[in-house]
Amino acid sequence: MNKLGTIIGFTFKNKARTKSFLITTLILALLITIGMNVPYIIKLIKGDDASKAEQIGILYGSQPVIAAELEKYAAQSGNKDYTFIKYEGTAPDQAKKDLEDGKIEGYLSFDGGDGAFPAVTFTGGEDGMGQGISSFLMPALQTVKTTVIAKDALSAEQIAALNEPVKLDTVRINAEGKTEAGGDTHREDMQKAMNYVVVYVLLILFFTSNMMTGNMIAAEVTSEKSSRIMEILITSVSPLAQMFGKVIGIFLVGIVQIAVFGVVVGANLMLPHNQDILQGYSLSISDINLPVLFYGLLFYILGYFLYAVLYAAIGSIVSRTEDLGQAVMPITMLGLASFYIGLFSITASGSMLIKVTSFIPFTAPTAMLVRIGMGTVPTWQILISLVLLLVSILFFGWLSAKIYRTGVLMYGKRPSIKELRKAMKAYKI
Amino acid sequence: MEPLKLVNVVKQYGDKTAVNQISLEVGRGEIYGLLGANGAGKTTTMRMVLGLIYPDGGEILYNGKPYHAELQQIMGYLPEERGLYPKIKVSEQIVYLARLRGMSQQDADKSLRYWLERFDVPEYYDKRIEELSKGNQQKMGFIAAIVHKPQIVILDEAFSGLDPVNVELLKATVKELRDEGTSILFSTHRMEHVEELCQRITILHKSNTVVQGNIRDIKSRYPREEVLLHTTGDVGGLDVIPGVTAVERIDRGYHIRIAAPETAQGILQKAMQETTVERFEIKEPTLNQIFIQEVGDSHE
Repeated sequence: MNKLGTIIGFTFKNKARTKSFLITTLILALLITIGMNVPYIIKLIKGDDASKAEQIGILYGSQPVIAAELEKYAAQSGNKDYTFIKYEGTAPDQAKKDLEDGKIEGYLSFDGGDGAFPAVTFTGGEDGMGQGISSFLMPALQTVKTTVIAKDALSAEQIAALNEPVKLDTVRINAEGKTEAGGDTHREDMQKAMNYVVVYVLLILFFTSNMMTGNMIAAEVTSEKSSRIMEILITSVSPLAQMFGKVIGIFLVGIVQIAVFGVVVGANLMLPHNQDILQGYSLSISDINLPVLFYGLLFYILGYFLYAVLYAAIGSIVSRTEDLGQAVMPITMLGLASFYIGLFSITASGSMLIKVTSFIPFTAPTAMLVRIGMGTVPTWQILISLVLLLVSILFFGWLSAKIYRTGVLMYGKRPSIKELRKAMKAYKI
Repeated sequence: MEPLKLVNVVKQYGDKTAVNQISLEVGRGEIYGLLGANGAGKTTTMRMVLGLIYPDGGEILYNGKPYHAELQQIMGYLPEERGLYPKIKVSEQIVYLARLRGMSQQDADKSLRYWLERFDVPEYYDKRIEELSKGNQQKMGFIAAIVHKPQIVILDEAFSGLDPVNVELLKATVKELRDEGTSILFSTHRMEHVEELCQRITILHKSNTVVQGNIRDIKSRYPREEVLLHTTGDVGGLDVIPGVTAVERIDRGYHIRIAAPETAQGILQKAMQETTVERFEIKEPTLNQIFIQEVGDSHE
């Protein structure tokens, strides 16, 4: 146990101090900072333009009533991003000119006022009708249409009631057969959004740190093998202690790196201009679902160990660092599959695929995370998945230590399965 | 009870036998020489002793017991390719290796400083291995192998690539360890080191033991077939003496090869009759000659 500590300390100290690690961490931290401030920087470059509302032209033409209602709507809705600007007459000459000059984003024209409501055409610039404009115009036109048609028949209150969106509450029946009240829908929505963020972040974290630290471990083992220091290490300490010492040491390095990134992200969020943006999404830390975070981290750590021992085993079979990339391919693929199963299932957390994969140790860390975060999972299923994961860590840890012990002394040609099996039988770990 | 004993140890790689039935014993305070051409099986034997690879037959006993985990604390190993981390400081990695072998941080540090001082290079304490010359890297590897005061030390080609001054330094150190009671298994293909350091040797050739035993006994088993003769004047007709197989004129006399030791007396008498003898020696075969005789012919 004492030796395990020595190995962890040595691995951590030497890995965390390498130039490549320091530089990578620094560059990534810098990129995160830049990325998080890009919206603000763009805003600064654009100057006041960005805060100024974009203008949409209306050809008054034959529909002055609709045009007037639209303007009224825009004024009432409190939307500061878009305003309407009137063009007299039906000829679009002036509007076209302004569009070309970039003064307006586009203009609306009305065809055939014979029916209840005319067909509306939006003429935009090169970008056509953007998402923002569309989501502003659709309800605006809908409201105006209602107002225009029902103007005489309905009171203002009735029209307002018509325009109110339908309330759809959700009530779930959980596995124990109890109903969970919808309760505060807004808060629940926020929690769902936060769960989504947590699941997403953990997925990406799991994938990237797995790849990075996994490759680090494999490269470390291979270089120790090729510098023959392995011969001294193996005669000094048991391969099991050696392997887990290395895996834990590099895990700590990875944690430190993630912590650094976390601090960078946190510091950036604290900046006043980013606070506004965060509030714009109305997400708050208090909405984080603690069980999701807890299980997420638990599966994250266990999943890391499962992959890490396999990377160590692969590293010990390869003799030269050049051959490493090819050799780790299968595990990289496994990691990729696990990541994408999780990612694609975020919106379909009840699918058969994710239910099955949440019990397979290699995909469980991501699949179970998605299931816990985006839906409800009976506790016993989580426990079974955890136990399976633990058992497979023990099994693959043992197997990897065997391969490690055997592989490190096989140089030159890649060992055949038969040779490996024979050698593995001979050594006690 | 011998600290290290190999009994009929066999190692096979596939169909190839790497080590065939080797038996040897290393006593307390002994330097045992393991000789052989490249690929003879020296390193494989050493790796089996270290427990790195598992023998396919026979047994290896340490103080009478088979391999066990505690041995890791009392064995030291200098591999042929110096196994050290190139980018890590000498002090850090040697202390680390010593701690893995069960030493405390303080003891390891003290021991390392002692050895650096002993080799007259205390300034290497803070250097990275890659900053040192190859010979000095080897010295550091040597320190790493003995820093934890092991009882059994395995040195694989410990002196190769060192300059004469450092060879002497290391030789003196090895002798000192021997006098302190350390058992040393030592492999080389440089015979002069063996003759100086070892009492007992094993010569391996193509996985087989060809010569084994005490160096003096081995030498006495090989006939003395060389006579060195220094004289003031010329000696004629040496080549007609029965039993003389070759005569070579050298700077101050003759170098004569004979078929049987008795012939030497005839040569001496003949020389004394004709001129003054300054030096007469029936040379014992060097290990080098024995080695070449046993191993060399199939070398070509």
